[in-house]
Amino acid sequence: MKYISFGPNDTKNIAKEIASSLKEGSVVALSGELGAGKTAFVRGVADYFEFSGDVTSPTFTLVNEYDGAKLPLYHFDAYRLENANTDELDWIDDYLFGEGVCLIEWAEFINPILPKDTLYIEISKDATKGDDYREILVK
Amino acid sequence: MLIFGIDTCCSAATSAIFDGEKLLAQTVINHKKTHSQKIMPQIESLFSLSELNVSDIDYFAAAVGPGSFTGVRIGVATVKGMAQALNKPCVSVSTLEALAYPLSSFSGIVCPILDARREQVYNAKFKSGERLCPDRALALSELLDELKGEKVIFLGDGVFPYKDEILKAMPDAVFAPATLKMNIAGSVCEVAYEKIMKGEILSAKELTPSYIRLSQAEQSAKDGEI
Repeated sequence: MKYISFGPNDTKNIAKEIASSLKEGSVVALSGELGAGKTAFVRGVADYFEFSGDVTSPTFTLVNEYDGAKLPLYHFDAYRLENANTDELDWIDDYLFGEGVCLIEWAEFINPILPKDTLYIEISKDATKGDDYREILVK
Repeated sequence: MLIFGIDTCCSAATSAIFDGEKLLAQTVINHKKTHSQKIMPQIESLFSLSELNVSDIDYFAAAVGPGSFTGVRIGVATVKGMAQALNKPCVSVSTLEALAYPLSSFSGIVCPILDARREQVYNAKFKSGERLCPDRALALSELLDELKGEKVIFLGDGVFPYKDEILKAMPDAVFAPATLKMNIAGSVCEVAYEKIMKGEILSAKELTPSYIRLSQAEQSAKDGEI
């Protein structure tokens, strides 16, 4: 399923739509280059689940837990986990098989541990169609 | 002799004080897995309501796994910290052995199972208080094959997601009652007591988690596919 976005707000709204199919235990893998809109996407999901706080980049924290929404949201950034071996990622299991929704930026870096029913979303740019143009592919 | 025990490896967070004969105090909270937030207040009330001081404890025992990776670390770290501060010895107890202990008088096989996710369970088999195999991770179907024809009682968190599958394969399977189905620290203390009698004690520094990593085949298979 492919969506077209012309800016961060579009990305957020597309994310809101996709979020309606997410439930407890859902895992979403977000891939896309720097600035593609992965965090904007997470903001859309957070809006759908009525999280009123700040959605910020978890690059340094590795995971941000957003409480108070309709479902617990776990926002990961696996960028710094690129060279970790699977034993060092064991703590992530409690989130992946927990009671909330996992949203993982740069998920491809921790691919070996992603559950079978992970939803893969790829956000790509196309310079020929403008700086704000994005294709959001749901696999 | 006073033994303090803790188990945060599974869904219940539990702590207890045992004097070698009597369980003096025990907390068990099986509500939401927020062990890191709830275990210290539990331990504080455990001691204050028992009118005991942490410094009165002679041995610090922890369930060291298998179980939730984060959960295992919370329990082990708590015990290491307390024991190190007081310069007291520790005892390492298998989560599965502590689960099985209260059912030692069952005439068949006592079979604790914990959900290891990724289609595997953590398990060990016990009978009359004796261990029949080491702690391991395996597919539930493989375990059920091993148990064919045996009289078995099941317990542990793994029972909840897998009860139907177990009954399908073993219609005569028995399940422990609610209070014995889950990990309780009093049991960690009792198993620790037996180990202390055999001289199996460790320093706080030596106490480590005992994870069971899932089979490499599972991991490599995932690595191969993108």
